[in-house]
Amino acid sequence: MLTIARRRPERWDKPLDPGMSDRAVDRLLRVPPFVAMDPAAFPRTTPLRDLLKHDTRLLNREPGQIVVREGDYGSSAFLVLDGQARVTLENLPPEALGRSARRSGGLTRAIARLFSQRQTPEVRPADAVLPTPSLPGGGVFLQDMPAVLSSAGVAALGPGELFGEQAAITRAPHTATVFAETPCVLLEIRWQGLRDLMRHTPALREHLDTLYRRNHLKNHLRSTPLLAGLTDAALDRVAASVRFASFGEFDWSERAKADAVLDPVERLRREPLVVEEGQPVESVVLVRNGFARLTVAVGEGHRTIAYLGRGRTLGAEEIALAADRGEGPKWRRSLRAVGHLDTLLVPPEAFLKEVLPTIPGKQRRRWAERAALPDEEHQPAIGAAAARTLDYLVDQRLTNGTQAMVIDLDRCTRCDDCVRACAAMHDGNPRFVRQGDQHDTLQFAQACMHCVDPVCMIGCPTGAIHRDEATGVVRINASTCVGCSACANSCPYSAIQMVELREPSGAIVVDGDTGQPLLRATKCDLCNGLPSGPVCQHACPHDALVRLDLTNPSTLAAWSQH
Amino acid sequence: MALCAAWVAWLDASLARTAYATGYALWAAVLLLAAYGLRKKLPGLPIGASRHWLRWHLVIAAVSLGLFGWHAGLAWPTGAVEGALAALYLGTFASGLVGFYLTRTIPRQLARTSEQFIYERIPRLKEAARRDARAAVLEAVHATGATTLADFYADRVHGFLGRPRAWRYTLRPTGAARQRLFNELRGVDRFLTDPERDAADRLFKLVRRKDDLDFHAARQGLLKAWLFAHLALTWALVLVGTAHGVLALAFRGGPTP
Repeated sequence: MLTIARRRPERWDKPLDPGMSDRAVDRLLRVPPFVAMDPAAFPRTTPLRDLLKHDTRLLNREPGQIVVREGDYGSSAFLVLDGQARVTLENLPPEALGRSARRSGGLTRAIARLFSQRQTPEVRPADAVLPTPSLPGGGVFLQDMPAVLSSAGVAALGPGELFGEQAAITRAPHTATVFAETPCVLLEIRWQGLRDLMRHTPALREHLDTLYRRNHLKNHLRSTPLLAGLTDAALDRVAASVRFASFGEFDWSERAKADAVLDPVERLRREPLVVEEGQPVESVVLVRNGFARLTVAVGEGHRTIAYLGRGRTLGAEEIALAADRGEGPKWRRSLRAVGHLDTLLVPPEAFLKEVLPTIPGKQRRRWAERAALPDEEHQPAIGAAAARTLDYLVDQRLTNGTQAMVIDLDRCTRCDDCVRACAAMHDGNPRFVRQGDQHDTLQFAQACMHCVDPVCMIGCPTGAIHRDEATGVVRINASTCVGCSACANSCPYSAIQMVELREPSGAIVVDGDTGQPLLRATKCDLCNGLPSGPVCQHACPHDALVRLDLTNPSTLAAWSQH
Repeated sequence: MALCAAWVAWLDASLARTAYATGYALWAAVLLLAAYGLRKKLPGLPIGASRHWLRWHLVIAAVSLGLFGWHAGLAWPTGAVEGALAALYLGTFASGLVGFYLTRTIPRQLARTSEQFIYERIPRLKEAARRDARAAVLEAVHATGATTLADFYADRVHGFLGRPRAWRYTLRPTGAARQRLFNELRGVDRFLTDPERDAADRLFKLVRRKDDLDFHAARQGLLKAWLFAHLALTWALVLVGTAHGVLALAFRGGPTP
């Protein structure tokens, strides 16, 4: 077979801004926070100077120009170097943020995509361009800036202030909009660079924690349903009392595949215990990020009765009921971290004083009724399909998926219309494998689930794998992927495939030094932009294949009964 | 169907020939049915999900049978083209019924196996099972020098793992061969050394896997063969039907609506 030799791409072959000069880097090294960083603390492979040169870029923003927009996903943090920006403290209407209700031309795009497929799959010419995944399109201007500025809901961000870092680090959407009030000079730091800066600068890590407490904690508490009834003053008092606690490993994906095949007892034993059944309640637990498994002891083991994700709480019921009875509260269930779990802990005193009085009597009566019922009356029997499915979803960490591909094997005729449709829309190479773990008659195919916590992004050296700003879909930028396989190895669900690169002539591209084929990562992109949605689901004649949000257990249960 | 009935009633009342109306309606139904195959070639276009097309495919197919009876009458057509066309229509309809039955029964049978297999990978997996079995037996021979299991393997198992299954198995697969081999393996067990017993356990698993692979190959193959036959009949029906329509219009002999 014909092959063509080329040099293997490396992390900084395509810097964030090829025009970033040494002079600009010199100037950056003289301003905070970089002036306080010790270059000797950085390893030789990723020196501070190179991080700044390759993973940052200078941006100029005009008054009114939006830098980050609430609801968009971001993969960069921003440092104000000059000028003044404003952050909105209240949600703005979509029109003010330049969002149109619906993109038109879907049919044209679909036809164009269908008939513009290449004859050769996975072609990447040597001179492929590098559109950076962050800030596509050059920004949008805020509508009616004077009105936004005159409202009380904006705060100023001056030189030295950092923003956008939480969205970049936690792979979550921005919670606020930031726009330039005066002409601004900003430094964009893509998250791979920010990660390395944090890794080698403890002071920066602490600074980011402080920023979280100052800028994001109240937003998180405000969006927690349990705290919805609090006044601003009460919320401030609760926020002041909150402690942070993290469980499990941030890079949990490294062990996920091995854990999935463990004995269930051993697997549970390895999951870090957050609270233990029968022990005194020392705080109300609020899930900030990640997933936790709620279990109850049965016989010699533990059965899963629910899983809790971002925004869910535990402990309010126990404290409220114990207060009614005048007893000390004890945990009725155990909570274990599945992978990595970030929590906020509210002390019982703060809860009793600030939160409990705001909880409606109806809710408290419901808690009391539920607590009086034995588990057998409102939980499926041990070994029943529903109970096993819940255990399975948590054991395999499928609860991370917002668009998991689930196939009902009792309906699937194995016609492969889904695979053919996917291939037809992706240059002849399907972006999933119609195979995967089987639970009863459900198959969880090897297709990207577009996880709540996309751990595949953790190790990517170039930011090629990123979240789409508008939709949150996890995508791979083909021209920046260096084929290192870090994402494919990190994905616990084997949903990313490495494929060989080809020239337009069809020749396989090989590394000029080693002779090994050059690869790129491919995965499901949810057929982004197609009016039909994911074509796999659209093409299934027997309604056997569906994309489901498994972060909510009721979606699978509802579909299973279709 | 109701529209067609109204049209036919109107033509009848005006003393026109109703066969053209039922012919046009039947032809439209056949084209709509055949269009489902075309729709599968156009994924991503917002022209309705495939599952909705399939539902309408079934409804229109049922309606087309009524139209066919109306158009052709109860007697078998006398002309060669008409006879072939009637045979093609009924053959396509019958194959559709068979497909309806197969697509609703085979998935459940496939789902009951211990593992799910992609059809195109089955030959490679069968070869791997045969290779693994051979290696397990040879290993036992090298460990002890005993050849009881190796003789049994060569005599009874090797053929099962290496040969394709009979045609009758493709049409009606059974677990009889697997069960027979299991029984024979159990019968041999008392004569085996410990390493051979370990190898026999491995053979149990590989025989089960090979049988599952054969089962999937047979059942999935049947579904694929059915689809191929159904499509071939459909396109033949469209071609001959078009010829019939052209001839009927060319020789209509007088004004028609």
